[in-house]
Amino acid sequence: MDWEDLALMEVFLYVALCFIVLALCLFYRLFKGPTAVDRAASADSIDILTDGALILFALYSGRGIYLDIALVTALLGFIGSVIVARYVEGKL
Amino acid sequence: MMIAIYILIGISVFFAFAGVTGMIRMPDVLSRLQSSTNITTLGILGVIVGGILYSIFYLKDSAMAIKLGVLGGFYLLTGPISGHALGRAAYASKAVGPEDLNCDQLKEDLEDD
Repeated sequence: MDWEDLALMEVFLYVALCFIVLALCLFYRLFKGPTAVDRAASADSIDILTDGALILFALYSGRGIYLDIALVTALLGFIGSVIVARYVEGKL
Repeated sequence: MMIAIYILIGISVFFAFAGVTGMIRMPDVLSRLQSSTNITTLGILGVIVGGILYSIFYLKDSAMAIKLGVLGGFYLLTGPISGHALGRAAYASKAVGPEDLNCDQLKEDLEDD
């Protein structure tokens, strides 16, 4: 089996699909989760798994523009989870 | 080199799967926060390091490698911060009771202030 032939195209797409399926599984915790902290943590994790899929798609298509989108998404997810945490703590 | 990239991405998928399983099945708020840390550090860092290797050696695109490095540093910097803030919020909103904890040093620190 030649690894270099298998290289370029398909594997990244399949792994990105795995990440998307994992993110969809986390929606269970987002809707059900008993406390607000569970919901915030699962939303942050969904954000980061989406970033992983986006990075893999950028590698698949060879365009760097998707990495900018991933950077903006990571920034917004971090700010959102910190603000939710401060609000739940009662110091906002 | 391609085998190394595959191994890194496989490690990343394994840790993301372990983190998602932990977040769905763990019984406790703090245990679920610990599982989400599993996703936000090792689950994404394998993809990023593999992507840096791929974009240097195969795509020959150094701008993508630099952007991926910035993303990896950002994740390493912000994961512990948001985890710490969420843990304090779980303690302050009484989601973690005294029956879940073996020792409670945060309470002593809060009483000192």
